[in-house]
Amino acid sequence: MTYAFTAEQEDLRRTARDLFGRTCTPGDVRAAWEPDADQDRSRWRRMADLGFLGANVPTEFGGSGLGDAELTVLLEEAGYAALPEPLLETAAIVVPILREHGSPEQRETWLPRIASGEVLATAQLMDAPAAPYGTVADLALLELDDGLHLVPGDRLTREPAPSMDGARHTAALRGVPDAGTRLPDAARVDARSRGAAAAAAVLNGVTRRLLDMTVAYAKEREQFGRPIGSFQAVKHLLAEVALEVETARPAAWYALTAVAEGHADAGLASSAAKAAANAAATTASYHTLQVHGGIGFTWEHDLHLWLKRGKALEFAYGSLRHHHRVLGDAVVTCPDLMATFGPALSAAS
Amino acid sequence: MTTAARQETRALAEWRAEIRAWLEANVPEGGLPDPESGDILDAHRAWERTLFEAGYAALHWPVEYGGKGADLDARIVFQEEYERAGAPPRMNLGGLMLAGPTIMKYGTPEQKEFWLPAILSCEHLWCQGFSEPGAGSDLANLRTSAVLDGDELVINGQKIWTSGGMHADWMFGMVRTGDPQSGHRGITYVMIDMRTPGIDVRPIKQINGQTGFSEVFFTDVRVPVANVMGELNGGWQVAMEALGHERGAGRRTYVKFLNDLAQLREFVTSLGQADDVGVREDLGRLLTAVSVYRHHVGRTVADSMRGHDGPEASYNKLYWSEMTAQIHEVGMRVLAARAELQDDEKSLPGAKQWQDNYWFSRATRIFAGTNQIQKNIISERVLGLPKEPRR
Ligand SMILES: Cc1cc2nc3c(=O)[nH]c(=O)nc-3n(C[C@H](O)[C@H](O)[C@H](O)COP(=O)(O)OP(=O)(O)OC[C@H]3O[C@@H](n4cnc5c(N)ncnc54)[C@H](O)[C@@H]3O)c2cc1C
Repeated sequence: MTYAFTAEQEDLRRTARDLFGRTCTPGDVRAAWEPDADQDRSRWRRMADLGFLGANVPTEFGGSGLGDAELTVLLEEAGYAALPEPLLETAAIVVPILREHGSPEQRETWLPRIASGEVLATAQLMDAPAAPYGTVADLALLELDDGLHLVPGDRLTREPAPSMDGARHTAALRGVPDAGTRLPDAARVDARSRGAAAAAAVLNGVTRRLLDMTVAYAKEREQFGRPIGSFQAVKHLLAEVALEVETARPAAWYALTAVAEGHADAGLASSAAKAAANAAATTASYHTLQVHGGIGFTWEHDLHLWLKRGKALEFAYGSLRHHHRVLGDAVVTCPDLMATFGPALSAAS
Repeated sequence: MTTAARQETRALAEWRAEIRAWLEANVPEGGLPDPESGDILDAHRAWERTLFEAGYAALHWPVEYGGKGADLDARIVFQEEYERAGAPPRMNLGGLMLAGPTIMKYGTPEQKEFWLPAILSCEHLWCQGFSEPGAGSDLANLRTSAVLDGDELVINGQKIWTSGGMHADWMFGMVRTGDPQSGHRGITYVMIDMRTPGIDVRPIKQINGQTGFSEVFFTDVRVPVANVMGELNGGWQVAMEALGHERGAGRRTYVKFLNDLAQLREFVTSLGQADDVGVREDLGRLLTAVSVYRHHVGRTVADSMRGHDGPEASYNKLYWSEMTAQIHEVGMRVLAARAELQDDEKSLPGAKQWQDNYWFSRATRIFAGTNQIQKNIISERVLGLPKEPRR
């Protein structure tokens, strides 16, 4: 059982952090709040050039060879940078759903164009009232009453539904579904699990950034003649955030692996990962603003860019209460907790 | 990550199967009585002896000392299976986890030969003599003094909260050999025979009504200087190594907490509360915690096996102790107004266990370094925040 990234995967993390460090600075995130910023695809194309958008796309459709572990790293980094574009929806939901459940024609039409960066895809699942980048998405996965539909942009209607996080460019999507857009039944549950697992990883990245920004501030800001980070009341708040986010991260790594490999526990692992990420995000939202004091409450300070992304992602793909209920139902209804969740003898023995 | 996240190596899978089969054949049916409840020590010692004879007493010990030299991942597999089988709680963890490794590092060949086999076979039970009335979190403030007299140390003072002190044959302790102001530079780590004249052990009744810990008084207790581990006045370093073992991964796995959750489920169901929405949310929160702990330990093992061990061990202690308290809090919550009553198996089956364990669960935030101390460690040594002003 390994929960560690390889040297190559750590290199990829550095590549992503470097790219976003140059093209997705807090200033860039702020600029992405401009109403027409959703038109700018330059960063999206850079991500395609680096192979980020070809992750998990089969090579015959232009895939980059990056897999699930690499995607995990990219999702965390996207959250860390508060990346405006919907990497989560495109790379972690639409691509695998297309690959696993799409018709040959759907796959042929969309996968190469996603990998090349030509197409930006979004998703509106469960009871989500809107989709990120719904304003301009070229393709959308919609959960409707009769199941999941993959709807091309020219058959979407987009109602304005602005987010408190202006960089998300949300719109309420309605599709004009038909038999050709409908995906097989199994896609529905799969998409929900993938959404929850991937959102957990992105959210953990957001939370880690809130923590790092606040640790840096606590070392530098002085009151009573000493850095505020030397006050224990401040330290313990930050230690609590660190504990929650660092324990939530491996749960998301595991969930992403479980959904990718289609394990029986994929749904429950995703719920646990998202519940843990949500709880860590709530704690971080409270404690990091508190430690910043008045400056953190200003529009001008960058903190709220991450606070708002965190709050949006906390409720996307299932709230804390939703996932606790899913897991609580499982605790009560599964015949034998130890057999379901405990260690298993593997086939190798 | 990739596929390896789920699949154990063939060697680990075989090891798991071996342990599972052995435990199925050997774990005493119905378990053993609580080791704190008095004269049932013999049954526990017999179980430890069974483990010892099978070669499972101390997997982490090197082969030359009778262990298996097992890596952390193999130890975790053992621990998972051990908990899954509902095997008895281990009796001599102080000896196996703390005293043993210290002796291996600092003991003479004769000492190793004398102490180590007796720890392994559970012939000697060990206790930890660190805390004192004036030195808990601030351990470096300890006062129990040891004065050199020829080739002996003469010890005077008092230890407190000594778990298992009543049954222990040996104590690994810390005493002050420097002057009273010498702080951590004047502390010596020493092994003390609990039958030495001048030692008086007095049980202390705990909040849960049992006598798990004790006070230990020392009056002119003479201990051979040869029993010092490391240098005279160099005991702090030795102790910090031992405490690192106490906090990190290796002793606890999610399976223990999954067992607790399974029992809680039975209890909730027997009370007719399994369909209550609030109770389900509580159970969902607990399953989240158990899963998170599983993957946290998985990551810690992976990091450790790649040579990264660090102050992050404090995450582990914080997580499992808070989870333990939460699980038992839910147990009390479902009992609600009934929680205060002294129930027995007749009046309300299952209740007594939750009532008793609830109070013990409250100790987990205090021992092995209080949770505030763990947060100090995380904030200063993991996050790099400025140190508290100290004297
Ligand atoms: C069930 C049980 C078994 C035990 N077994 C053993 C044993 O076998 N051997 C042994 O040696 N000891 C044992 N202990 C003792 C245990 O290690 C101590 O209780 C613990 O280290 C705390 O010390 P204290 O009780 O003196 O509390 P104190 O150190 O006085 O702490 C009181 C409160 O103040 C807080 N505090 C203290 N210093 C700080 C600080 N710098 N920053 C923030 N908060 C602070 C603490 O967190 C705590 O909340 C046991 C304790 C229990 C409850």
